[in-house]
Amino acid sequence: MNYFPDEVIEHVFDFVVSHKDRNSISLVCKSWYKIERCSRKEVFIGNCYAINPERLIGRFPCLKSLTLKGKPHFADFNLVPHEWGGFVLPWIEALARSRVGLEELRLKRMVVTDESLELLSRSFANFKSLVLVSCEGFTTDGLASIAANCRQLRELDLQENEIDDHRGQWLNCFPDSCTTLTSLNFACLKGETNVAALERLVARSPNLKSLKLNRAVPLDALARLMSCAPQLVDLGVGSYENEPDPESFAKLMTAIEKCISLRSLSGFLEVAPLCLPAFYPICQNLISLNLSYAAEIQGNHLIKLIQLCKRLQRLWILDSIGDKGLVVVADTCKELQELRVFPSDVHGEEDNNAAVTEVGLVAISAGCPKLHSILYFCKQMTNAALIAVAKNCPNFIRFRLCILEPHKPDHITSQSLDEGFGAIVQACKGLRRLSVSGLLTDQVFLYIGMYAEQLEMLSIAFAGDTDKGMLYVLNGCKKMRKLEIRDSPFGNAALLADVGRYETMRSLWMSSCEVTLGGCKRLAQNSPRLNVEIINENENNRMEQNEEDEREKVDKLYLYRTVVGTRKDAPPYVRIL
Amino acid sequence: MEVSNSCSSFSSSSVDSTKPSPSESSVNLSLSLTFPSTSPQREAKQDWPPIKSRLRDTLKGRRLIRRGNDTSLFVKVYMEGVPIGRKLDLCAFSGYESLLENLSHMFDTSIICGNRDRKHHVLTYEDKDGDWMMVGDIPWDMFLETVRRLKITRPERY
Repeated sequence: MNYFPDEVIEHVFDFVVSHKDRNSISLVCKSWYKIERCSRKEVFIGNCYAINPERLIGRFPCLKSLTLKGKPHFADFNLVPHEWGGFVLPWIEALARSRVGLEELRLKRMVVTDESLELLSRSFANFKSLVLVSCEGFTTDGLASIAANCRQLRELDLQENEIDDHRGQWLNCFPDSCTTLTSLNFACLKGETNVAALERLVARSPNLKSLKLNRAVPLDALARLMSCAPQLVDLGVGSYENEPDPESFAKLMTAIEKCISLRSLSGFLEVAPLCLPAFYPICQNLISLNLSYAAEIQGNHLIKLIQLCKRLQRLWILDSIGDKGLVVVADTCKELQELRVFPSDVHGEEDNNAAVTEVGLVAISAGCPKLHSILYFCKQMTNAALIAVAKNCPNFIRFRLCILEPHKPDHITSQSLDEGFGAIVQACKGLRRLSVSGLLTDQVFLYIGMYAEQLEMLSIAFAGDTDKGMLYVLNGCKKMRKLEIRDSPFGNAALLADVGRYETMRSLWMSSCEVTLGGCKRLAQNSPRLNVEIINENENNRMEQNEEDEREKVDKLYLYRTVVGTRKDAPPYVRIL
Repeated sequence: MEVSNSCSSFSSSSVDSTKPSPSESSVNLSLSLTFPSTSPQREAKQDWPPIKSRLRDTLKGRRLIRRGNDTSLFVKVYMEGVPIGRKLDLCAFSGYESLLENLSHMFDTSIICGNRDRKHHVLTYEDKDGDWMMVGDIPWDMFLETVRRLKITRPERY
């Protein structure tokens, strides 16, 4: 079978980069499995509890880059208690012990402690890249260890983490000899920043391409930073509440004009509207713009900026842009591929006319032929609009619609939105991710099961009538990997219909549904390769095992496939059946 | 990402957002099944709409609120020594004079801008840098941009 020596096959495998493809290669034959595993440099683990560090290292001894994900997706929305799990320390300890030459670590929704960061910084001489997304548990002291000890550090990217800011001098901890930084993102840090240390660091980092500042970096510092880093490609600005004096503004404009490589802009947590024009000169080069934190900027200022961004491919914005603004986007941004519109009024304090509606969505779908990913929060929707969107944009890969009021029907016909979402799944044959909302019956799930053949991730909230809904999905969507359901009337019949199915998926989440303790127990009984976790934070409900009522509904169920059995680090309110 | 439901239109049927008494709880429970986001648990849990914490916090910290074509700017007002404060929409006033007039009426005492003395309460504000400043030194528009909250100081006693 193998006409080539192993080295040649390995060389061929080097060109195969995607995890899915490499996983497939390793299944071809024993020889390929062996060659593949010894040459694999990047490993992606979608659920840190599906495998353990020892087995990982055993199989991939040459690994250089590890991606780990911990808590389930709904943890982003406060549905998973903080101590649930996802601790990275055991992984770092194991990797350190085994002398793996780790160079890159990417973590999502994991608990990272200062101790872990310290150990990480001391254990891997070639460590180059740390990316932490939606993690928690560490402080700026941990960052100081990384800065001080990782001599080869190129990338420190902190996205949306909960970091305890000790207002220390972590930026000072980068040694003067550190000149290799290509990416530094500390936008989520809440405390003060040693601006002088930051300026010195940026000045000695000629390869710095991505810099994302936190709110504490003032305008004049931004101008100086940009002046010594005109090579920046990706910039996240801080907070500029005060209207700048003319001199500062002029300096900023001069600095920005020089940044001809700038392609991506974000930040703007608080911006005096008069600061925005300083950025006009580079708008024509932008391919990515994230204004989703710019809560204080009114729609008309946003529109003026966006009108200049003709090459935009990615836009994240607040709904304060309004339908009017989305029409401008549709007219201007013909290259747009990804759009996210976030809600700016979560307390129901504002009048409706300011926010976006189905009108904006239809306009975008009509005006942006390359659109393939959308996340859209709105207060109202109609079937007609969704049908139009489906017709305009059959290329959606990700379609997430969140109507803010649960169970809200088509606001013109008062019908459910089954037909609208049905049109989406029928037209978009490549759809991989879908989130549904509004008033929905079992019918929409019939459509999803029938048409969404490529669907890998489905998020359901406040939808459906009976178990049939969930069954349509489980029976129909053969490629489903992650299913997350909340506040929907699906129960044991749906849960137990095809238990083997769950081993073909990464995970299932069900909260505030109709599944009972008894149903979960039956599920767990013959499934050694599934961990069935019941999360119950309410102390009053925790009874002795012989007293418990199997008919009692389970508040939160999280089940996932695993080859390493029950985890040992669960807190007391998580029961693993 | 968080929720307070008192103004939502669909909660117009009389769902009380305060904690239900035991006899009401079953009624509220069934109502919360029909109008899930009005359930008191959801208000506390802050799990709908599905947005991340950082965005939720940013929106909570937002001062400017649009209502139709107007804006409002609600700030907290405390009288020194009184633990419970008030909330005031600064956009409702045309300038310092009307602000002082209104505050004097609200707290039932004479309030001035200017130096502390034995007789009057003096109005101060916290600006965006976190510093406490005397009200009245800067133009009203600039004041609106920078003010975070107000404090009425007690008259000095020697």
